[in-house]
Amino acid sequence: MELVLNEQQALLAETAERLAAASGGPQRARAVRDAGRDFDAEAWREVVRAGWLGTVIAERNGGLGLGLFDLALTLEQAGRRILMAPLAEAAAAAWVLSRAGTDAAGRTLAGLLDGARLIVPATRPSAWGLGGGLRDGSAAALGGVVPFVPFAASAHAFLLATDEIVCLVDRTTPGVAVETKTQVDGATVSTVRCADVVPAAVLARGAAAQDLTRALREFLVLAAAAELLGLAAGAHEITLDYIKLRQQFGKPIGSFQVLQHRAVDGFIDIELNRSLLYRVAAAFDAGTYHSAMVSAVKARTSRCALAVTRAALQMHGAVGYTDSHDIGLYYKRALALAARYGGELEHTARFSDLTLA
Amino acid sequence: MRWDNTTLFVDDDPADRAFRAEVRDWVAAHVPTELCSRSTRIDPPELKPWHRQLHERGWIAPHWPKEFGGMGATLTQQIILFEEISRVGAPTPYPHGLNFIGPLIIEVGTPAQKEKHLPPILTGETTWCQGYSEVGAGSDLASLQARAVLDGDHFVVNGHKVWTTNGHFADWMFALLRTDPDAKPKHAGISMLLIDLKSPGVTVRPIETIKGDAEFAEEFFVDVRVPRENLLGPLNEGWRVANKLLGSERFTTGHPRNAAVLLNKAREVAELTGTSRAPGFLQKLASLEIDLLAFSAYYRHAASLHGRGRAPASMAPVIKIVGGELGQRASELLVEAAGPFGPQVDDLGIGNHAVNPAAEMFEMRRVTVGSGAVEIQRNIIAKRVLGLPS
Repeated sequence: MELVLNEQQALLAETAERLAAASGGPQRARAVRDAGRDFDAEAWREVVRAGWLGTVIAERNGGLGLGLFDLALTLEQAGRRILMAPLAEAAAAAWVLSRAGTDAAGRTLAGLLDGARLIVPATRPSAWGLGGGLRDGSAAALGGVVPFVPFAASAHAFLLATDEIVCLVDRTTPGVAVETKTQVDGATVSTVRCADVVPAAVLARGAAAQDLTRALREFLVLAAAAELLGLAAGAHEITLDYIKLRQQFGKPIGSFQVLQHRAVDGFIDIELNRSLLYRVAAAFDAGTYHSAMVSAVKARTSRCALAVTRAALQMHGAVGYTDSHDIGLYYKRALALAARYGGELEHTARFSDLTLA
Repeated sequence: MRWDNTTLFVDDDPADRAFRAEVRDWVAAHVPTELCSRSTRIDPPELKPWHRQLHERGWIAPHWPKEFGGMGATLTQQIILFEEISRVGAPTPYPHGLNFIGPLIIEVGTPAQKEKHLPPILTGETTWCQGYSEVGAGSDLASLQARAVLDGDHFVVNGHKVWTTNGHFADWMFALLRTDPDAKPKHAGISMLLIDLKSPGVTVRPIETIKGDAEFAEEFFVDVRVPRENLLGPLNEGWRVANKLLGSERFTTGHPRNAAVLLNKAREVAELTGTSRAPGFLQKLASLEIDLLAFSAYYRHAASLHGRGRAPASMAPVIKIVGGELGQRASELLVEAAGPFGPQVDDLGIGNHAVNPAAEMFEMRRVTVGSGAVEIQRNIIAKRVLGLPS
C-alpha cells in the first residue's frame, strides 16, 4: 500500500529508490563480502552526498529537520537493494549529537554529516544480549565492554551510551580495543572494550543520559527494522519474478495455487509490517508512542523477514541453495538484521513485560 | 502512555479526536448495559431500541450522504463511531441494511426505491438480509441457480437461498438471481432483486449454527412474484452492482477491534484460571497483540487511503483475511486460557459479566468462510495484485 507522503517525502523516497538501485544490489554486496570489508565505501559516499543522514537533523544543525519516518523511507530502499552501508548507525549517532546541543557535539556532527568521519553508537540495551554494559570507572575514565557493535571495525569513533553517561570515544584512544567478528552476510559486529578510557567529550550524564540512551536504542531498533523490512520486500519481489518465469510441468510454477498462497501470505505480512513500521516511526517523531510499540516493530519485522526469505529460498528450489544466486544473500542478510538490536524472542518478551505490567 | 489495545493509536486529526471524545461520552451515558458483552446472540428485534437511539442521535448511518439522512462522515469518523460503540462491549447495528443494501440503493436505486426503503433502514423499522449463497454456489457464487423470469410487470422467482444471516427475522432480502441462463460468462446473466419476504410462495427456515443459535436461515421460493420495479440496477448487471460494495463494508466487518476484545477476554479468563502464569500463554498473547498492533496500523493506513480515493485493490481482501484469521486465533487463545473450563457449555462468570469461550470461538469460525472464504481472497490477491499466472 502506498504511504501517505507529503511532497518532500515523496521526493526523498523516489531519490532513495534511484540511488539504492544504482549504488546497491546483491552483486556489490557480495563483492564487499568477498573483499572482507564490512561496507561499501563508494555507496556510502553516495548516501552521504545525498544527505540522507540529514533527514533526522534539525535545520539549525545543517540537516533537513525531518524525522525517523523520513529516514525509514531511505533505509527501506537501502535494505531492498542490500546496499551495505552504516546508514542506520550513523544516522542514530547524528541524531543524538544533534540533540545533545554541546559545541563538541556540533563539531563532531559536522564531520559525520560530510562523511569525513564515521561515528557509530556503542550501546547495550538491557532487552538484548546478557547483562553487562559500561560502567563509570572513575570520575574521568570509563571501563567496560559493549558487544555486538555493528560497523565498529571501520568506525573512527564511538558514541558510547549507557544509563549513566553518553560520550564520544575516539577509536585511537589508549585503552580502547575492538574485537571483530564477521556475520553470514559479510557485515561485522565487534566487541568494544574500554579500560580506563578518557572520553573525547561527554554529552550527557545522569537522568539526561538515561533519556538520551533510551531514545537512541529505540531509534536504532526502528531504523534496523526499516532496513530489514526493505530487505524482505526485495526478496519477495525477486521471488515473484522467479515463479512467474520458472517452468515445470509445462507451466510457470507461479500458476500453482500452493505457491500463489505462499506468495500472498508474504505479501500480506510485508504490507502489515510496513503500515506498522511507518505508523510507529511517525508516533516516535511526534513523541506519542509507547515503548512496547518499538519492540513490537522489531519482533514482528524480524519474524516477517525471516519467514519471507525462507519461503523465498524454498520457492527458488535448488538454485536457492547455491551461493551464486542472490536470494541466498537476502536470507543471510535477513538473519543478520533480524538479530541486530534484538530479534523476535527478545523483543516479544520486552513487549510482554511492557504491556502486561 | 498507558497500553490499551482498544485504542492503539492517537487520532491524527484534532477534529477526529474531538469527535471520539463526544461519542465516548454519549455512549457511556446511553449504552444499553443489558446488551453489553453478552455471550448469547442479540437478534434484530432485541437490537431495535438501541438502533433507534443511535438514529435519534443522528449517528446511525455516518457514511450515508446527508440528503438521505446520513452524516456524510469521513471513513475515519465512521470507524471512530464503530470503535467507541464496541469499546464498551455494546453491539453495533447489523450491517445488511445500513452498510450493504442502503449504500447500493443510494448509488444505483430509483427515486421510488430510495423513498420506500431508505427511511425504514435508518429507523431500524425494517430488517434486511442478503440472499447470495446457494447450496451449489458458495465460493463459486457466480454458479448460482435461483431463477427470476420476467412475466409482464413481475419477475417470477424460483429457487433456494441458504446461509442467510437474519433471514428468519428479515422483512426484505436483496437477492442475486439468474435472469439469463445462457449468458457467458456465467456472472453476466445475474440480476439483483429486492424481495419482500412476506410475499406468497416464500418459506423461511432457521438453521442452527455450530455455536448453537439460529444465526442464519434458508429460504425457498416457489413462483414468488416480485414487482419489476424491485429490480436494483440494470437487468443482468447484478454482479457488477453487488461488487460495488466490496471495500468499505470491510471496514466494519473486519475491524481489528474484534480481536482486541477477544484478547482482553483471554487475559481476564487466564487470570481466573491461572493459565496466565504459563509462559506459553504469555508468549502467544504477546505475539497476537503484536500482530493486532500491525493490523490496526494497516487498517488505519487503508482507511486514510480509502478516504483519499486511493485504496489499493488488495485492501478489501487483506482486511478480510487478516481480520478473520486474527479474530479466530484470539478466540482460540481465549478457549486455551480457560483451560478445563474451555469446553463447558455454561458461561464463565468474571466479576459482573460473563464470558463463554467456546461460543466465542465457534462464532469466529464464520469469519474466515462467510462472504468469500479466505482462500478465495488469497486467489484474488494472487491474480489481481501480484499478477501471478493462471
